[in-house]
Amino acid sequence: MQVNQAHYSTPQFSVLSDDQCEMIFRGALEVMERVGGRFFNEEALELFRNSDALVTDDTLVKIPASMTLRALKDSPSKITLCSRDGKRDVHLGRNEVYFGTGSDCPFIYDRETGERRRYTCNDVYDAARVADYLPNIDFFMSLGLASDVQHDETYDRHQYFSMVSGTSKPLVVTAVDGEGLRDLYEMEQLIVGGEDEFRLNPRFAVYIEPSSPLAHGEEVLEKLLYCAEKQIPAIYTPCPSAGATAPATLPGLLVQSLAESLQGLVLAHLKKPGMPFIMGGVITIMDMKTSNYCYGAPELSLSCAALTDVSKYLNIPMFSTAGCTDSRAVDEQAALEAQISIETAFLSGASLVHDVGYLDSGLNGSLEMLVLCDEIIGMVKHLGKGITVNEDSLAADVTDQVKPGGNFLTHSHTHKHYKQEFYFPKLLDRHNVETWRAQGRSTILDHVNKSLNNILETHQPEPLPEGVEEKMKQIIKKADEKAAEGKKG
Amino acid sequence: MTLQKIADAMVEGDVETGKEMAQKALDEGHSPNQVLDDGVLAGMEVVGERFKNYEMYIPEVLSSAKVMHEVMEILRPKLVSGEQASNKGTVVLGTVEGDMHDIGKNLVGLMLEGAGFKVIDIGIDQPAKNFIEAVKKENPEVVGMSALLTTTAPKIKEVLDALEAEGLRDKVKTMAGGAVIDQAFVDENGVDAYGPSATAAMEITQQLVDEVRKNAS
Ligand code: B1M
Repeated sequence: MQVNQAHYSTPQFSVLSDDQCEMIFRGALEVMERVGGRFFNEEALELFRNSDALVTDDTLVKIPASMTLRALKDSPSKITLCSRDGKRDVHLGRNEVYFGTGSDCPFIYDRETGERRRYTCNDVYDAARVADYLPNIDFFMSLGLASDVQHDETYDRHQYFSMVSGTSKPLVVTAVDGEGLRDLYEMEQLIVGGEDEFRLNPRFAVYIEPSSPLAHGEEVLEKLLYCAEKQIPAIYTPCPSAGATAPATLPGLLVQSLAESLQGLVLAHLKKPGMPFIMGGVITIMDMKTSNYCYGAPELSLSCAALTDVSKYLNIPMFSTAGCTDSRAVDEQAALEAQISIETAFLSGASLVHDVGYLDSGLNGSLEMLVLCDEIIGMVKHLGKGITVNEDSLAADVTDQVKPGGNFLTHSHTHKHYKQEFYFPKLLDRHNVETWRAQGRSTILDHVNKSLNNILETHQPEPLPEGVEEKMKQIIKKADEKAAEGKKG
Repeated sequence: MTLQKIADAMVEGDVETGKEMAQKALDEGHSPNQVLDDGVLAGMEVVGERFKNYEMYIPEVLSSAKVMHEVMEILRPKLVSGEQASNKGTVVLGTVEGDMHDIGKNLVGLMLEGAGFKVIDIGIDQPAKNFIEAVKKENPEVVGMSALLTTTAPKIKEVLDALEAEGLRDKVKTMAGGAVIDQAFVDENGVDAYGPSATAAMEITQQLVDEVRKNAS
């Protein structure tokens, strides 16, 4: 019998120690107290005025540390998202990792012509179907912005309809403003059955971005406050670029990002203490030669992993970023950037990891990239399983039976274990050179395209429940009519 | 020699040396126009070229621009054609209505200022009427519009229409840029030029200013 044993059931990874997390956290508290943030929304300002916060200069709000600490105590460390059939699939909390797409890219490469063109509702529907099919994609964001709509200000309703029609998986939605979000929430209730049902089994979280540095726009706050009121999980996730809209040093970038999220958290909890809040960030650097906002830089992965450490320290679920690239094509650069970010985000233990499938620095939502990343995530998850060390897995007895010079292929121990121990790639090629030549020297991109064609041709999502489509379309129609009225008036 | 040192200081982004050498050159008897041409502009040419070839980093370019500004402060009062030498052209710049993205616009503004243009940055989320107001007040050669969203790109057209309605369309040239803008969009909507990057915007602005001035004369 052994004593004093410690076993890792998974690999161990962290960027920051608890002491460093505390330094970042205190840095954020200092920024919130000393620098403050701009809030461009009357209801938000009124909530702050009636609290311990200091509102000066019309829109500048300074939040004392004590308020932030109180809000943090109330913030749930566990949030669950559900699929369309009510299954509680996605459990957000420390070190439970789920991957999903990003949202709202303007462009897609047309699968027929290869031409770069704007996203349509049908593209969003296809993206949803592909995500629905892929085993390693746990939640869906629109990937592209549905542009073939009559009124720009109602695109979110059309887009949401395409999303929910194409997949049953949990969603992260974007909305134009508070009214848009209200419509999406009402559309979703047609599926879940009502507000209470949604609150207990939330079907979506809402993606909301403050404006770095330290500003919170009118519509942004409308959405955050609506989430608080209805207790819809809100992801409050800044997109600062170090050197441009945040300090160039990564700790400074982390402090500012955290301060921006926590400013949102305090406000949301003023409206409704204990509302479900998710912090996050696409926190990265500006490329100082091209001015590119970098989606594939190692600094993005490093700082997102560090912010995830801080989120675990504070016990708030974390929205992180991976599976995206600055490459303009699905190529070697795309694959290697996605691999680094996916592996880092996974090992960091972030709760929701989004932007899988982003090409062209977030300007192109690529189905090919999504399929490729599904394989990368599969491999990375396998790596994350770690190694179980026990008598059976050490296999001394087996080795003794096989003897020096023997082979393990026929041993029952092999039969018993290889399917769990090994990863079976779907897209990678391990044929020998003869077979590879005979099969047309195909590369991984050929396999990606074949797989994607197959999914698009065959995968049928679970249809919406009876009668729901019509009722959803009525909500959309009403919004469109209102937009048309507005244009006339 | 001293003039070369001014140019070098620009490339190095060394404000102190730049100012010192500019004063020295004047003391040595170089004319202000010589200092401008063979010092400042010679330096800026190197900087512009290097930046265009991605051999220089943005913060370095912005430091070079700072040197230029400081040296110009010394030269301006002494230049015979003082007004003219510093009047490369005026640009009214803004992000269109409904759009909060400003990093690209700011960078374009900084680069244009660096290149010597007068930039009137009217900010983010600016409706057409604010562009018009600024045009009336500032009399620019160029109106620059930034848009990063599919949903706000159409606002560029609104600015053009408003310029037309106010009878200002022929007095200015227009440029648009930002993540969702491309040449096709610009062509379809009748914008005069597409700005794919801040670097490109510098050259395009120069061309547009030249065209406006040519048409006016
Ligand atoms: C006049 O002449 C000229 C000439 C050249 C000009 C020019 C004008 N303007 C620009 N140029 C050119 O020169 C510059 C320098 O070389 C370049 O400028 P850029 O601005 O392109 O480049 C900058 C230097 C660096 N790039 C950037 O700073 C933009 C980066 C990305 C990630 C981005 C950011 C950072 C932000 N965003 Co927003 N954002 C994205 C962007 C993705 C991307 N890759 O563009 C994009 C543009 N955003 C998007 C979205 C959806 C949104 N954003 C939003 C908000 C924000 C933040 C506030 C969080 C933040 C901006 C902060 C700020 N202070 O600006 C929201 C909208 C808010 C609003 N009403 O405007 C929101 C709607 C998100 C939401 N659901 O709430 C997407 C657009 C979708 C679409 N189809 O329209 C997006 C592509 C990201 C994505 N995939 O989701 C050239 O384009």
